[in-house]
Amino acid sequence: MVKEIERAGIPVVQMCNLIPVAKSVGSNRIVPTISIPYPLGDPTKTKEEQWKIRYHRVKVALDALTADIKEQTVFEV
Amino acid sequence: MKKAIVYINQFFGQIGGEDKADFEPVIREGLVGPAIEYQNQLGDEVKVTHTIICGDNFMGSHTEEAINTILGFLEDKEFDIFFAGPAFRAGRYGTACGHIGKAVKEKFNVPVITSMNDENPGVEMFRRDLYIFKGGASAASMKKDIKKMVDFGKKILKGEELLSAEEEGYFGRGIRKQVWLDPPVTAADRVMDMLLKKLKGEPFKTELPIPPQDKVLIAPPIKDLSKATIAIVTSGGIVPVDNPDRIQSASATRWGRYDISGLDRLEKGVFKTIHAGFDPAVANEDPNVIVPLDAMRAFEREGKIGKLHEYFYSTVGTGTTQGEAARMAKEMIPYLKEANVDGVILIST
Amino acid sequence: MKLELGNFYVKDIVFGDRTSYSNGILTINKEEALKVVMEDEHITEADLYIVKPGDRVRLVPVKEAIEPRVRVGGGPVFPGVTGKLMQAGNGRTHALKDCSVLVVGKHWGGFQDGLIDMSGEGAKYTYFSQLKNIVLVADTDEDFEKHEQQKKNRALRWAGMRLAEYIGSCVKNLEPEELETFELEPITKRSDDVKDLPSVVLVLQFQSQMEELGYNDLIYGWDTNRMLPTFMHPNEILDGAVISGSFMPCSSKWSTYDIQNFPMIRRLYKEHGKTINFLGVIATNLNVAMDQKERAAMFVAQMAKSLGADGAIVAEEGYGNPDADFIACIVALEDAGIKTVGLTPECTGRDGRSQPLVTVDPKADAIVSTGDVSHLIELPPMETVIGELESLARDGLAGGWAVDEILGPSVREDGSIIMENNSMFCGDQVVGWSTKTVKEF
Repeated sequence: MVKEIERAGIPVVQMCNLIPVAKSVGSNRIVPTISIPYPLGDPTKTKEEQWKIRYHRVKVALDALTADIKEQTVFEV
Repeated sequence: MKKAIVYINQFFGQIGGEDKADFEPVIREGLVGPAIEYQNQLGDEVKVTHTIICGDNFMGSHTEEAINTILGFLEDKEFDIFFAGPAFRAGRYGTACGHIGKAVKEKFNVPVITSMNDENPGVEMFRRDLYIFKGGASAASMKKDIKKMVDFGKKILKGEELLSAEEEGYFGRGIRKQVWLDPPVTAADRVMDMLLKKLKGEPFKTELPIPPQDKVLIAPPIKDLSKATIAIVTSGGIVPVDNPDRIQSASATRWGRYDISGLDRLEKGVFKTIHAGFDPAVANEDPNVIVPLDAMRAFEREGKIGKLHEYFYSTVGTGTTQGEAARMAKEMIPYLKEANVDGVILIST
Repeated sequence: MKLELGNFYVKDIVFGDRTSYSNGILTINKEEALKVVMEDEHITEADLYIVKPGDRVRLVPVKEAIEPRVRVGGGPVFPGVTGKLMQAGNGRTHALKDCSVLVVGKHWGGFQDGLIDMSGEGAKYTYFSQLKNIVLVADTDEDFEKHEQQKKNRALRWAGMRLAEYIGSCVKNLEPEELETFELEPITKRSDDVKDLPSVVLVLQFQSQMEELGYNDLIYGWDTNRMLPTFMHPNEILDGAVISGSFMPCSSKWSTYDIQNFPMIRRLYKEHGKTINFLGVIATNLNVAMDQKERAAMFVAQMAKSLGADGAIVAEEGYGNPDADFIACIVALEDAGIKTVGLTPECTGRDGRSQPLVTVDPKADAIVSTGDVSHLIELPPMETVIGELESLARDGLAGGWAVDEILGPSVREDGSIIMENNSMFCGDQVVGWSTKTVKEF
């Protein structure tokens, strides 16, 4: 999926937990998420904390779309 | 009686050598050059009705025209199988066999068989599209190469069981299918055998060769995020609770896009996940943990992004083949382009 | 640790007055057996059938398979699950061979449930088609999951285990036809000629993906999602320490029967002292979060290295995101200098052209493939269906569907079916029985 979107010339950032999978399908911009069932949340934390996590990770992803990368990059969160 | 048609180049078609490589395609009734050998080997069951001859350079430099002309020749012909070559190590000939073979297969949906030497560039170009048998380096192996092609062609025409690429002798087409070993050998025995060989440093053969990684060119970054339109795509299966597009919860072939204009966040009970590959409890309680609409709206208000695209796009990633995923993405792209989407956040589960 | 497995080879199963075994004939008192099933008030209705190879019978949704056994010295067959916690793998256990207890939902199926055909083309897809089976068909009042795709199947699975223990108990005091002995000396106490052989560990990645308890494989009753990799004696696995869970597309699952009989373990035992020094089993899991996967792989490699392994076998229960654990484990072992062979099904998709595992690594250079979960299977109607055929299409079984533009629904009006191998009950036989592989065409 990422590959097709990227091929169409639209930069795409993949947010996912399984970084090796994203790498192996050829994603160029990767931002790690919390887990598979809840990529951008965490039921052990309060709503407020979850919001902070989500806000932060999405921000990293948005910034990743503006990054002039030369190779497959996993962005730090 | 089944019918076959054979494609060969100008040299084997007895038109001439390099000086005749621009020869435009012709179709001849009956047998020319190697077609005679095909007929010998096919015997009484299959008749080679026509031979098509085309110059390698003509096919190389006027590919579309050559293909169209030949497809035109074939339109009113009845045939059950199509042979091209063998092309040995001749690069242009191999490529020509590939081009015409692929076109014939797509248009007429008949089996197409060719043969090339493993150093022929046509192999890598067309091995996924047709049966390319492993052939010799030069015309000296003509008889042998044709025999392999014909034996296999007869098996197809008779509806016999076809074995794997390696057993049949053609270059694998990248299609992996399960088979039962004959005679049966249990996985436990195979593991033991492989492990003992590996431990002793003896050669062993994996049953799952690791495919090479496919790299994609990196799309240029967004220059000014504050003017950009961003879209959300997810393979996490978030859909309206009634799943209007009936997206499958595994091995998905369907996707949907859902209007989020006017929404500040995805409410539980309105959206849910239908993804079968994980525990859905948390995402059903708060779908924003997969489609972060609330966060995107915040960035929109802050002016960090220009705007969020009116729809989010959703399907299910579990068990979904790469082929299907690619098709679904291709179907989404026109919508993204039309809305001038500048960047995509894809959330996977 | 020394385990004696006393085998009784069942040639036929019949219903009769007294549950007993004699000369290859297993007789079951149906009424008494059903009483054992109904001990759980959540079971609302239940019935028993006997099905044999060649019967024109289709079973769906199949939830579990268990080998009837009895612990001769007393105690539950599944410690920590069907009774008190106690050490498994030591002492004598009696088993009724060539037969299994199959648990089938009366109506409702789920993602993890499967199908078995006892004859015809479909019979080649499951191991249980060649066994004589006591089939428990039952319904429960577990309404909270009736329409859920993911089901714990708790009442049904436990009923199956109780039933297997009840049936097994009839051979408690009989002399077995065959006695198999499984014994490994403690690792440091082995003789030099054994120690000089290449040392091998078996790494078993048990299914543990559900974060909520109740779905995953259990080790001595403990949810595998909540464990770190641990060292086990192979006898424990062969003797009821591990039970199957209720999650994962069915063909790649390991049923409790599979785990009790684990052919890969038996194969390693056969080589022990001849070509290898079988160190034991590292039991690990397939949790979903990346850090859990990395941590598990780290633990496995460290443990194997510390044990002195020269070689390892890694088997995964499942596919898809567990492939990440599978590859991570192999890579970690190879990086530790341990020569490793992987054992797994693959998913190549309807066109056969998807990357066979979701993650790959060139270090995983020795893999035995047990089949393709996405393989499409079309089967004619079957005279008798035990369970509910419609569940295959209706209830979200991993290899079934209600709607498909090209293929139509999985279950057709005439009773013929089209499905993916995904829903063949434990069909990929990753535990080692599989005579399937995947080849390129």
